[in-house]
Amino acid sequence: MKKTSFWIILIAAVALLAGAAALWLHFHHPDAAVANIYLDGECIRSIDLNDVTEPEIFTVEGEIGTNTIQVEPGRIRVTHAECPDQICVQMGWLTSEGGMPIVCLPNKLVISLDDVPAKIGDAEIDGVVG
Amino acid sequence: MRWSTRQLSLMALLTAIALAIHVAEAQIPAPVPIPGVKLGLANIVTVWAMFSLGPGPALMILVARILLGSLFSGVMSLMYSLAGGLLCYCVMLLLRRFLTREQIWVASVIGAVFHNIGQILVAIVVTGTPAIVSYLPILLISGIAAGLFTGVAAQYLVNRMDKTK
Repeated sequence: MKKTSFWIILIAAVALLAGAAALWLHFHHPDAAVANIYLDGECIRSIDLNDVTEPEIFTVEGEIGTNTIQVEPGRIRVTHAECPDQICVQMGWLTSEGGMPIVCLPNKLVISLDDVPAKIGDAEIDGVVG
Repeated sequence: MRWSTRQLSLMALLTAIALAIHVAEAQIPAPVPIPGVKLGLANIVTVWAMFSLGPGPALMILVARILLGSLFSGVMSLMYSLAGGLLCYCVMLLLRRFLTREQIWVASVIGAVFHNIGQILVAIVVTGTPAIVSYLPILLISGIAAGLFTGVAAQYLVNRMDKTK
C-alpha cells in the first residue's frame, strides 16, 4: 500500500505533463499550414491555408451524411454537419496559427494541420458547391 | 458465477441507477467542443461496485449499463464507451490491490484517464487518422478533473455505505 501523497504526486505529475503538452500544442506555430482533409483515413484534399486567395465552400460525403467545409485565406472550418453531436461545427476555425485537428467522428472526417500535404488517397470529393 | 438473489437485485438496482445517471448526463450540453470530454458520473456506480461488491458484479453492471445506454445515446457511441469502459475497468481491477479503503478516489482518477486513452485509440482506429492523438493531453487533463470529481463522490459513497453496514 502506498501513501496517499504518492498517488497525489503521481496524478499531479501526469496533469502537469499533459498541461505542458497541451500548452505547447496550443501555442506551437507550425512552419507551414497545410490543412489535410481525411475521410475514413484517406487524405482527400490538401489545402495550403497560406495560399488561399478565394474563399471556397465544398461538401464531403461521409458514412452518415455530409460535412460542409468552408475555406478562407488562412483558415478552415466545418459549417454544417449531418450528425447529431455537431462537435466539428462547434470547434470553429482551424487557422494557420496552429491548433488541434477538427474531427467529426460519426462521419470519419478529420481536418488536421500539417507541415506538408499528405498523399492523396483514392477517395474523391463528392460535390463542389459555390 | 452464482449470485444470491439479494446480490442480483442489488446489481440490477445499481445498473438502473447508473443508466439513469448516464441518460441524465447525456442531456447536459458538452462544455467544450472536444469529443470525449465529459463528466462520466455513472462511473461513481462502477467504482463503488468494484470496491464494495467485487470485480464480477462491477463488470456486469458496467457492461449492462453501456449496452443499455447505447439504446439511448446511439449505437455509434457504443464502441467508444465499451473500449473506454473496459480499459478503465481493467486498470481499476489492477489498482484494487494497491489502494487502501481511503484511497478509492485514486482508482477513479486513473480509471478515467485510461477511459479517455481507450476512447482515443478507438477514434484513431475508426478514422484511420493518427493525427488526432494530439487530443490526448487535453483529454488527460479533462479525465483527471472528471475522475477526481466522480472519485471523491464515490469515496464519500463508500464511506457512508460502510458505516451503515
